[in-house]
Amino acid sequence: MMRKLIVFLLVVALVLTAFSVFGKTKLIMAVHWSDYQVEGVKDENGNLVKKGLRQYVEEYMAFHPNVEIEIQSVPFDEYLKRILISHTSGEIADIYVLYSLWSVQLVESGILDSPPKDVVDKVKNDFVKPAVDGTTIYGNIWGVPIEVDNYALIYNKKLLKEAGFENPPKTWDELVEMAPKLTKRNEDETISQYGFAFLSGWDSAVVHPYLALLYSNNGKFLKDDFSECLLDSKEAIEALEAELELFKNGGTDPAASVWSFPAGKVAMMIMAPWYETSLKLGFKDEYEETVGVAPIPYMKKPATVGYTWFISVDNASKNKEVAWDFIRWMTLVDSNGFTRMGELMAKNIGAIPPKKSDIAYFTDELNDLYTSVFVKELEHTHQEPNVAQGQEIKTILMREIVEAWNGRKTAQEALKDAKKQIDEILAEFY
Amino acid sequence: MRIKSPNKRTLAGYIFLLPAVLFYSLFFGFPVIFSFIVSTRRWNMLVPLSRARVVGFSHYEYLLNNELFMRALFNTLTYSLITVSVSLTIALIFAVLINGAKFSVLWRFIYFAPVVTPQVAIGTIWGYLYRPNNGLLNSFLKLFGIKPVYWLTDPDVALFSIMLTAIWSGIGGSMLILTAGLRNIPQDYYDAAKIDGAGPFKQFWYITVPLLKPTLLFLTATGMIGAWQVFDLPFIMGRNAPAKSVMTVSWYVYETAFQSLRMGRASAGAFLLFCVIFSVTLLVLWTFRRGGIEGYE
Repeated sequence: MMRKLIVFLLVVALVLTAFSVFGKTKLIMAVHWSDYQVEGVKDENGNLVKKGLRQYVEEYMAFHPNVEIEIQSVPFDEYLKRILISHTSGEIADIYVLYSLWSVQLVESGILDSPPKDVVDKVKNDFVKPAVDGTTIYGNIWGVPIEVDNYALIYNKKLLKEAGFENPPKTWDELVEMAPKLTKRNEDETISQYGFAFLSGWDSAVVHPYLALLYSNNGKFLKDDFSECLLDSKEAIEALEAELELFKNGGTDPAASVWSFPAGKVAMMIMAPWYETSLKLGFKDEYEETVGVAPIPYMKKPATVGYTWFISVDNASKNKEVAWDFIRWMTLVDSNGFTRMGELMAKNIGAIPPKKSDIAYFTDELNDLYTSVFVKELEHTHQEPNVAQGQEIKTILMREIVEAWNGRKTAQEALKDAKKQIDEILAEFY
Repeated sequence: MRIKSPNKRTLAGYIFLLPAVLFYSLFFGFPVIFSFIVSTRRWNMLVPLSRARVVGFSHYEYLLNNELFMRALFNTLTYSLITVSVSLTIALIFAVLINGAKFSVLWRFIYFAPVVTPQVAIGTIWGYLYRPNNGLLNSFLKLFGIKPVYWLTDPDVALFSIMLTAIWSGIGGSMLILTAGLRNIPQDYYDAAKIDGAGPFKQFWYITVPLLKPTLLFLTATGMIGAWQVFDLPFIMGRNAPAKSVMTVSWYVYETAFQSLRMGRASAGAFLLFCVIFSVTLLVLWTFRRGGIEGYE
């Protein structure tokens, strides 16, 4: 009798345990972040200094014991492949953090779930315009923006001072004039210190500065309905010719690299907010006296270009409601005047949180010498267009600009060839 | 148990072949057929293949008329011809020189070291050597008053710089196999040739080279297959050069598939690459067979 009772109790215990495990709603969240951004920043004694995503997720799970969230971190270069392969294999994530440029194809393929109305309303009302634009595809909001990036001029105060310049350039003409005076050459004529540096191997580092110049020259990249590429316009050609002036007058060359800036080998470059940590590590104690930030020198009017990361839910998720609830809790609900995602962005990741209340709250982090300029420049930021085959179009434009940098094509020829290829793609989709 | 009946013997043969047939069907036949099917669709991997639009051979037509793909094909052809021929020639010379020399094991180890080094590491290290203003190669050229070369950014030079690295990293593997081939050549042939008055060059040309032909055939065929598939070194080292000057077919296929999400077009590129490699391999086998090598038919 006793034996039967023990067996019965064991079976009950097993069933209860199984229910407690299997009864949980499991969410998989895919991100492209580094280890410290997921696990948090710890000091040498192992004490948590800055919270990472995991700490917020654990906090959510403590409030919602029936929900289990698994974080899957994939390097940026592999991230899109992860989404593709997961859909082919059926092993999807429930929640994605997405680069706006990829989102058009995800929406067209029915991968993303339409956010609930309250989420859409909050995004429209509570977030800065470039971020709302970045999350809008075919007129609809497809997630909650969590990071907005734009570009500014980063300059080396010491190198400028050495060359007799007290202030950074305000206009592109001033920059073109200053760059050769900031360039130093070895005996063999190779450049040992660049007045200005581009970076030819990375699409964003080539295309985004060019688009900033194009917009500042009152130009447009694509028609509003994406039916045609406008790179053959006078404004577009002038913008590229303005870049080429730097190559002609010796202020830069195609071998330049923005990554040489922390080594003190570059006087000026155009860069995004997330590079702050690398600059601090590179210059250490001399960071504040060396690094200066200013709006991108303009042609006709101030302008910069931006891109957005947003968080969304997979349409094939079995737990969409729970996933959106987590996103609301993380990105929309103010806790002590700020959102958790805003805190993660401002304090750990070093990016600009796109929610207006977060920007107003994290003054210490966002008003420093580096980030404050990027925040102010949000008003001049043109969002990278959310166009079908955006990545392919960006790569085509990068290649043609690099051809012009290398003197293999004139600005007009390069942009004409880019337009031809881009128009072929647009004709497929619009 | 002895199998006497011819039918049973045939059956046994097929049974023994079955594992190999299954292996090749799964890992070779299926991918080739699947890749061909995908190449006739417009598919981005985000929707089921069954929902992808059938576009016939339009991807092939596009690629054969696309300037970048044709440049990639030309770059890959240049890369494969030069790296395989130069690397094999140098490997043969080194193999002959160290064969029977003192410390031959040490030499073999030294030359083989690049083979076991990951290509990513090789590409990164050579990237430093190629730096225009403080790289080792330009510093060396400077000693002779030669102007600095923009090894990896000058469109006319970048592919050759990558090929130089590939040749350096490929010598060791070929040399090791050639050394093994050299050891299989009986010493009697050389002794007889010496008696007949043949010098070292004649011995090399009339004994070593003909008897190494099966080994050379193997190395040429595998080298060509590998060279036509090259991806890592150009991708790591050539990103700062204009793409048309350094892009290879595999790089084009990768980018088309995973950045542009055009799996159909990428598969068409991959299938064309397969056809090229298959033809090149047949050509290599035919050339060697005309030279009297039957062993790798």
